[in-house]
Amino acid sequence: MDTLLKILVELRPDVDFEDNKELVDSGELDSFDIVSLVGELCEAYEIEIGAEDIVPENFNSVEAIMAMVVRLQED
Amino acid sequence: MAFTSVQFVVFLFLAATSYFLTPKRYRWVTLFLVNYIFYFMAGAGYFIYLLATTITIYLAGVKLGNMSAKNKADFAAAKGELDKEQKKAWKGNFTKKKRMVLIPALLFNFGILAVLKYYNFVGANLNALLERFSIGAEVPVYSFLLPLGISFYTFQSVGYLIDVYREKYEPERNLAKFALFISFFPQIVQGPIGRYHILAEQLYRPNTFSYERVKFGIQLMFWGAFKKLVIADRAGVIVDTIFGYPDTFGGTYVAVAAFVYCIQLYGDFSGGIDIATGAAQVLGIQLEKNFERPYLATSIPDFWRRWHITLGAWFRDYVFYPLSLSKFFMKVGKKGRKVFGNYIGKLLPVLIPQFIVFFLIGIWHGAEWKYIAFGFYNGTLIVLGILFDQPLKKLMEKFHIKTECYSWRLFQVLRTLILVALGKIITRAPGVSASAFMVHSMLSNWDGDILINGGLLKLGLDVQDLWVLLFSSLVLLTVSLMQESGIHVRETLSKQNLLFRWIIYLAAIFSLILFGVYGLNYNASDFIYRGF
Repeated sequence: MDTLLKILVELRPDVDFEDNKELVDSGELDSFDIVSLVGELCEAYEIEIGAEDIVPENFNSVEAIMAMVVRLQED
Repeated sequence: MAFTSVQFVVFLFLAATSYFLTPKRYRWVTLFLVNYIFYFMAGAGYFIYLLATTITIYLAGVKLGNMSAKNKADFAAAKGELDKEQKKAWKGNFTKKKRMVLIPALLFNFGILAVLKYYNFVGANLNALLERFSIGAEVPVYSFLLPLGISFYTFQSVGYLIDVYREKYEPERNLAKFALFISFFPQIVQGPIGRYHILAEQLYRPNTFSYERVKFGIQLMFWGAFKKLVIADRAGVIVDTIFGYPDTFGGTYVAVAAFVYCIQLYGDFSGGIDIATGAAQVLGIQLEKNFERPYLATSIPDFWRRWHITLGAWFRDYVFYPLSLSKFFMKVGKKGRKVFGNYIGKLLPVLIPQFIVFFLIGIWHGAEWKYIAFGFYNGTLIVLGILFDQPLKKLMEKFHIKTECYSWRLFQVLRTLILVALGKIITRAPGVSASAFMVHSMLSNWDGDILINGGLLKLGLDVQDLWVLLFSSLVLLTVSLMQESGIHVRETLSKQNLLFRWIIYLAAIFSLILFGVYGLNYNASDFIYRGF
């Protein structure tokens, strides 16, 4: 979780990642952020994230992103 | 059957009456029949294209669904004996198999769209090339009529198929129900482009009559008709005059035309969408939002998040993400970091697909060079915006420019509006060179006096019409500002006293009757986006 938070804060230092549970739905993260974030996640966790995984539910909160990462690591 | 015609109102009335009178279990069947009658009335010859798309996408969807179900069962049985690499290989093989179904279906359906929409454009350009190099051959040019709503229903059904391919949901196994999903009459003409997981369930369930919802639906249709008939069609007179005679109306007139065209296009397109959304609401169906006050956007990316939202979302989900997350662009990003440094390298997988998306959005609007230029114009603005985002932020900090205040927001909105208006000149002028001529004329022959010395009266509208246009545009702006601050206009109105409510309703009805029609022989012009 710490690694993920570090990636997120580096990407968007202005966003409150710990409290915001609607990162995508509230428009806080846009498509450019998502693509940059996916690149970082793939590298850091050695996973493959496809376009099918890019749904708001997977990116709305730190917990949701972590859950997706864990799921893809298990796959 | 135009949305603003009496026929459409009568059609909707009959459709709603028969829908609500049908036993609940069969309401979706009535809706399906109503859609097909609507489409048939638009032109029987178009039917074959709609059927071709319906059947091919339906069959491909069912096939993909069956393959996924079998794969899931097989994988669950074999999972225990596979290591990580083998699981990965299994997944890769299955993806390849699914693509063998997806790609032919996409090629077939985009092929129909491409031939009908772009064949003549490509043919004419090829002929120009052949002539230039004195090659005595010619590509035959045919005059195709575009089937009603072909771009919209093709995109909607392709979006469904890609979602099934991605296993986002199960395919629809009832052909008639699937046909209903891609032919819903209020939205087939000019959108909004629906998503299966949001729209289909609403179409299939038995919606019940609700006075409140029907009232809101009719109010929205009135509002849409007001935007189209009172604002857009009136603004269109000025726009047609100036763009029709760019030699006569240069200089400041070009700026007037660009801004008035912004008003016309918004009134026309969002008015049409309001009528579609209102009509759907009468039947108990909530369509997706297609506009969110685009001219209050603070940047070009913000504008595109607010304008034709469902098309932007379609391109984001089915073109931008697959491209930018593809192995190819991930590699481009990695290489880019080595060559151009971390900042630019990271941006490359975003910038290049973004440019491709705007190129596609450009040609989606039409088979003309000016639409390609429009795509490049927007793509360039967005790319420049991203590239200069950080340097500009640092510059503003250095000069202590406050960005958390009203004046900064106003500056951002006006700056965005000017850039959008310039883009509109590209699409509305007869061609790319004509738009360049007009912009040059605007910059070199500026004469602000025409705004006050009666120059505006030469544009086809008399004083009264100009006042009506100004006043109705101000009403639109006021409503937009109210909505932007979170006020739900219809809900707020419904809470007012009876007398006040009816004064507003009657004012709306009379303004539509009095100002919506020019004389006896005037016909409301076609919706602009209907042609796309």
